[in-house]
Amino acid sequence: MAAYLARRLALAIGTVFAAVLITFLLVHAGDGSPGAVKAGPGAEAAEIAAQNHALGWDRPLWAQFADTLGDLARLDFGTSLIDGRDLGADLWARLPVTASIALLATLLSGVLGIVLGVTAAVRGGRLGRVINAGAGVALSLPAFWVGVLLVYLLSLQLGWLPATGYVPFAGDPAGWLQSLLIPILTLTVGGAAIIARTAAVGMREALGQEHVRTLRAMGTPEWRIRYVHALRFASVPVVSVLGIQFIALFGGSVIVENLFALPGLGQASQAAASSHDIPALISVVVVATLVVVVVNLLLDLVVAALDPKVRTA
Amino acid sequence: MSVLPLDDVAADPSPGRRPRVLRRPGGVFGAAWLVFVLVASLTAPLWQPYEVDAQDLANRLALPSGAHWLGTDPLGRDVLSRIAVAGALPLLSSALMLVVAFGIGLPLALVAAERGRRTERVISRLTEILLALPLIILLLAVIGVIGNRIYPVMAVLGVLLSAAVYRVLLGVAQSVRQRLYVDAARVNGLGSLRVDVLHVLPSMATVVAVQAAQLFGIGLLINAGLAFLGFGPAEPEPSWGFMIQDASKYLFDDPWLMVPTGLVLALTVVAANELADALAGHRAPAGAAGRPSRRRARPAPEPTAAAAGPAATDAAVLRVRGLSVAVEGGPTLVSDVSFALREGTVLGLVGESGCGKTMTARSLLGLLPDGVSVSAGSIGWQGRELTDFRSVRGREIALISQEPMVALDPMFTVAHQLTQPIRRFRRVGRAEARRVAARLLAQVGIVDAERVLKSYPHQLSGGMAQRVCIALALTGEPKLLIADEPTTALDVTVQAEILSLLRQLVRDTGLSIILVSHDLGVVADLCDDVAVMYAGAVVEAGATADVLGAPAHPYTMALLGANPHVPDGEPVPLRLASIAGTVPPPGRWPTGCRFATRCQFVRDTCTEPFGARPAHGSGEVLCVRVDELSRARATWDADAVGAETAPGADPLPPDGGQPPGGSPAPAGPLAAADDHTAGVPR
Repeated sequence: MAAYLARRLALAIGTVFAAVLITFLLVHAGDGSPGAVKAGPGAEAAEIAAQNHALGWDRPLWAQFADTLGDLARLDFGTSLIDGRDLGADLWARLPVTASIALLATLLSGVLGIVLGVTAAVRGGRLGRVINAGAGVALSLPAFWVGVLLVYLLSLQLGWLPATGYVPFAGDPAGWLQSLLIPILTLTVGGAAIIARTAAVGMREALGQEHVRTLRAMGTPEWRIRYVHALRFASVPVVSVLGIQFIALFGGSVIVENLFALPGLGQASQAAASSHDIPALISVVVVATLVVVVVNLLLDLVVAALDPKVRTA
Repeated sequence: MSVLPLDDVAADPSPGRRPRVLRRPGGVFGAAWLVFVLVASLTAPLWQPYEVDAQDLANRLALPSGAHWLGTDPLGRDVLSRIAVAGALPLLSSALMLVVAFGIGLPLALVAAERGRRTERVISRLTEILLALPLIILLLAVIGVIGNRIYPVMAVLGVLLSAAVYRVLLGVAQSVRQRLYVDAARVNGLGSLRVDVLHVLPSMATVVAVQAAQLFGIGLLINAGLAFLGFGPAEPEPSWGFMIQDASKYLFDDPWLMVPTGLVLALTVVAANELADALAGHRAPAGAAGRPSRRRARPAPEPTAAAAGPAATDAAVLRVRGLSVAVEGGPTLVSDVSFALREGTVLGLVGESGCGKTMTARSLLGLLPDGVSVSAGSIGWQGRELTDFRSVRGREIALISQEPMVALDPMFTVAHQLTQPIRRFRRVGRAEARRVAARLLAQVGIVDAERVLKSYPHQLSGGMAQRVCIALALTGEPKLLIADEPTTALDVTVQAEILSLLRQLVRDTGLSIILVSHDLGVVADLCDDVAVMYAGAVVEAGATADVLGAPAHPYTMALLGANPHVPDGEPVPLRLASIAGTVPPPGRWPTGCRFATRCQFVRDTCTEPFGARPAHGSGEVLCVRVDELSRARATWDADAVGAETAPGADPLPPDGGQPPGGSPAPAGPLAAADDHTAGVPR
């Protein structure tokens, strides 16, 4: 157990480090420079050089990297090249939006996906084929298209939910949930489809296990075989895929935030990318990686709780 | 189910499977649509009805019409032309992404599979990190640095996805490399590159194709997503993602605009995934895994005539009559099998793999695989006809299976797995159930029961796990144990312990056991009676001492010759005989004697149907030449292995008299060899 957690923690730290390193190298490999961005288009070369010097861009690469690491370790994300805003505070304010969408979408995907997948595996027959085929289509649909269709259906046609905009949680939790519901449903369509397939495959594999035959031979009631033994067996791969799903949904929220005008990390990263705001790019990648890594560490704990092989190792 | 290495190789996904893809409707659709979209978009400049930037402001947001088949956009531009022209970029850049992803992932997997563990560890850790990164946000950072250059951005995506390629292919490469024939190729001096090219790569073909199709779909989605965010070709160049973005702004005025582009994109991704599924042979779940309910309902069809026989003859607890087991709508696996089990005795079912002995044993508990059912015959259990298996499972008849390590649920402790049935069968509380469990463990020879109770199956040794399985089987105090190769997976020393435990249980508790085994030594050791099975039929049955001491059926003789365990007092054969050929598979059984194709004593009469003859007192034998053979004291000839045994080349002397050489003693293999060479063709 301790060795397992140490390994997962090392992987988490390695992932964050890799994210910093990759973004840092990327930024320095590009032909742009922060001075050019800050000075704006059409600036003189001398002005750009002066700006770069002021930002420390002309110092040795390793020194800059060490500084970047040091700043990030102190959670100092610097300021935006475009509008000088404090990036740490900005991202801190944005994080709850993206995190709630991604977390709630992952949870909903998990519940729906497990119910559908288990049903497909246990009932089989036509229902199983329909669920399998439906999941195959659902996981192929582009999220932004699904989002627009949902807006058309739930806002424009039925008028149940607001089409765009964000209501902060504090003060109006119901409004907050309403403002997030379509984005969450949008991401859940694909997410639940993937979980459903994983759960169906896992359940079918579990029900084909030798130990299930032992249980049958012992006259164990069928519900107990399915929902206690097989489901527990299938739960480990499902939780692992949930972790991967969270990463994907976190990325997917970039697109959804753009579609629904939600002030989250995705919107920030899109803005940073189109304005070449280098410190903003680095900080958004680091924060996104941190979130993804922390959630996956939590899921690792869940896996350890579910799988005795991991727990007792 | 078979453990023959040959089967493993034969079942291997080989590159020659491609046509099967096109037999699946999803595969046909996927391949056809992808080809259609690719051709249509690459040739778009040749046939597009309008220029992509030709505006018709009088005709904005038009619905489909003869002039504009898919309508027009907010600037009055033709949607069909724009969709077609826009297709080339996502398709080609996703293809580039694939080339990069496999160009990196595939060699890495080959290297990691070939080099030692350390290389593999380093590469694997690095790819794990790549997989844990938030892909889209990282891609946006790339765009932030290098700008909206689609091909380089998709190439970077390929680099990131190479980690996924590596992970999947590493598993394949490792399993292929572990196969014997690859080792053999290396021993033969093939260089590692040639091993990869000749053996590893071909076995990867299917997996590579499946993953490529899946990743292609992901590439299309990400590519369109980026274009949706504005990181695609700049206006007026069309792109699928941005067209959807554009359409979303006019959702209220013209919802139709969403449809064509979205559908084309969605269909293309669906096509890629359908193709992947078809390539993977990912069969839609035909029947649910494990629904015993349907087969339980089937009543056993008409009992055979013999079933009406006197019930008084014996103390048989179990009497199987004319049992046949068949794949539903397919071949018969077991035909007309009859045997009886006396109370407190052990009956062995022996034969090679694929003889139907496991099917026979499993049908006694109604635990046949999906799609397989009892098609004829009856199972008499304690004087009544056994139809409702659920009421007897665990309570009256219990099962011990071949692989103890996988027979226990890996997710639960031994205590949980034992107390659950104990509480159900014996209607006792939790604490009492635990005491019973500890007592049962002690009964099967486990000394530190408390520790074992707290253990999970993976913490037990094979022998210990089999003892736990036996304890589990005893929780319902059954009268019959069905032991399916209970010692095959165990070490030799442990085998002996488990066998003596079973013997002790029979002696102390009056249990009866049906022992399925291919090991005549085990059978000789433990069984009172034995039924030898071949190709789904019992070919010889009787008391163990009689059948093994004086086998009447050539197959039994051959088995004994092929078996290194020699019963006491028998001469050790100079050479182990083996039996040429293999058991004919179900559905291809010859008429008459099913062993005829492999039998040294085959004659024309063997191919005509005949019935069983009494032998060994109360036993029987299924051989038309049994009397001749016994008069001739024929034995299976070790030297004739692989020799042609064409009908007519009869190794027996013409009139069934004394064999040449005159020795009336049990004829050794050498004597039989003489017979064979002297055999006169008729």
